[in-house]
Amino acid sequence: MEKFSFLSNKEFRKLVEGLTGSFTVYGTVRKDARLSAAGDGFPAYGRISCFEDLVLGLTPTHLSAKEFLFPQRETLLKFDIEKMTHAAVVEAVDQVIIGLHPCDIHAVGLMDRVFAYGKPDVNYLARRAKTVIIGTDCMPDRFCFCKSVDTMNVDAGFDIFLHRVKGVEPPQGAGPPQNGFLVRTATDRGKTILSKYAKAKKASLKQLDEIAAFEKKREDSFTAHIDAPAGQLPEIYSKSDESPVWERIGAICYGCGSCNNVCPTCYCFDVKDEMKSNLNEGERVRVWDGCTLEDFAKVTGGHNFRRTRSDRLRHRFNRKFNYLTGRFGALFCVGCGRCSRTCLVQINISEVTNELIREYNAKKRQ
Amino acid sequence: MPENAEKIRPKAAFFSFTCCEGCQLAVLSCEDELPDILRALNIVYFREAMTEKRVEPSQREDYDIAFVEGSVTTQKEITKLKHIRKKAKTVIALGACSSTGGLNCLKNRFPMDFVKKTVYGKYAEKYKKTFETLPVRPIDSIIKVDCYLHGCPISKTEFLSAFTALLMGKTPITQNYPVCVDCKMAGNICVFEKGMTCLGPVTRAGCDAVCVTYGCICWGCRGLVDDPNVSAHKETLKRYGLTAESMLRSFDLYGNCSLRKSGSLGVRPAKK
Repeated sequence: MEKFSFLSNKEFRKLVEGLTGSFTVYGTVRKDARLSAAGDGFPAYGRISCFEDLVLGLTPTHLSAKEFLFPQRETLLKFDIEKMTHAAVVEAVDQVIIGLHPCDIHAVGLMDRVFAYGKPDVNYLARRAKTVIIGTDCMPDRFCFCKSVDTMNVDAGFDIFLHRVKGVEPPQGAGPPQNGFLVRTATDRGKTILSKYAKAKKASLKQLDEIAAFEKKREDSFTAHIDAPAGQLPEIYSKSDESPVWERIGAICYGCGSCNNVCPTCYCFDVKDEMKSNLNEGERVRVWDGCTLEDFAKVTGGHNFRRTRSDRLRHRFNRKFNYLTGRFGALFCVGCGRCSRTCLVQINISEVTNELIREYNAKKRQ
Repeated sequence: MPENAEKIRPKAAFFSFTCCEGCQLAVLSCEDELPDILRALNIVYFREAMTEKRVEPSQREDYDIAFVEGSVTTQKEITKLKHIRKKAKTVIALGACSSTGGLNCLKNRFPMDFVKKTVYGKYAEKYKKTFETLPVRPIDSIIKVDCYLHGCPISKTEFLSAFTALLMGKTPITQNYPVCVDCKMAGNICVFEKGMTCLGPVTRAGCDAVCVTYGCICWGCRGLVDDPNVSAHKETLKRYGLTAESMLRSFDLYGNCSLRKSGSLGVRPAKK
């Protein structure tokens, strides 16, 4: 119980303003308000330069926060052929990301393991070390299924975590109830930042009841789910190579890579050497790549190891539920539902998985 | 640059067929890089950029790289294009008109007599030979093209990367994935979620999705990717309320999409 303290909205404002003064701050914002059906914009990540920019949303953002740790395009090396010089480039600034939901925090944890695996990735790890993560609570929409993949709650992987509360009822005539947050910290860095920029008070029992009630409501609000225990999914996927599901979804897939690009755990990239027009200087850059794109598994000579969209989708789904679980001991899908939400042809990751589960169970009964 | 640079500098020529010449302007707008380009290339013909009113390279004159802009709409252009192919070691299609036919293909929706009459009125009949016109075609329906720079207009970045690749003897890379990739990387909210429709999911990327980034939609100016899922896109457009006719119109705007070519030099189009 002691792990929670209360941060009034006023103090939260001080925290955010303090952070924008000393860090590069990214956080959840609302985008394109004019074009959204409800008129209040779409949830997305963006640069936070003042407190008003920040909108802590309850539902997931379109793109994940991975771009702040693993940018769409980054320079790894600069070279000069004429001078015969080269220098590695590691770009990392002190930054804060505010508004990650539990699924996103789990995703960052998986990325940390990926980029530390084998030969550690200097660029990612340098950036990660300088990144403060501030999480916040959420409410599932019809695509969220973190409850089914054990990523609904987090105890680590963030520096500060914010639970929304209505706050203490003020004495009569003193205005509306003051909103605020119950905060948890999981790192010393989080504790230091919190005490440096804001004054947190002791949380009241009423507030604790309030977030317990919110969490209960959240748990009961899931409409999407996976119909098998998370631990069984690698086995089910490994027996589903011949499933007719792949042909069916392959036929409607664009191969547009949107699922890869919005996914918080898709980390594949391409490395290219780009020459400047003077033909002396150049850069080695790394850019996002996606396994559902046609040229992803194409090699010299023109052979493509996964020529059809069906092959490529099967590969992507297996990367999430089967292939990587052996290496990292965890599912690589955190249930954020972003791929299903973004897919124009409505390929839904939880529905596809449930179809495979049904086939697997039917085969077992035979 | 070595001493004998002048001798090894490849000769390049820019030719323009039926188009707005905007892709040549896009080349000229690479202002920071133009000195480098001039150091590396010996440009023997570039009407849009040259002060002197020189005539096109003669029969005897050779050039290594021909940048060809514009689509083909007359018999004269066919003859000239074939001549260019004979002379040049490498032919590069510069922009939508030359690589896919471009906006000019709108003409192909009508009979040629009707088109001529609409534009030239009574003179269409009087000066038959002057106003001779053929259905619009991309240049690769007449000659072999080694490399395509797509877009209306071309992307400066792509032009410069093709330029360095050619000088280094590498194959210029043309993206073979849909605009959705560029659009997601730009952090855009999907056009379909904003209550509009778009050709991005089947259109070749490489444009950084500028149109969507600045509030517009993708009209497909770069042509289709090698292996587009057109039937899926028709279903999507239908789901978002587009009629069959308006669908065909949007697919058709930047040239007949069925005439799409492979993304880059040496890579064959996707197998059926």
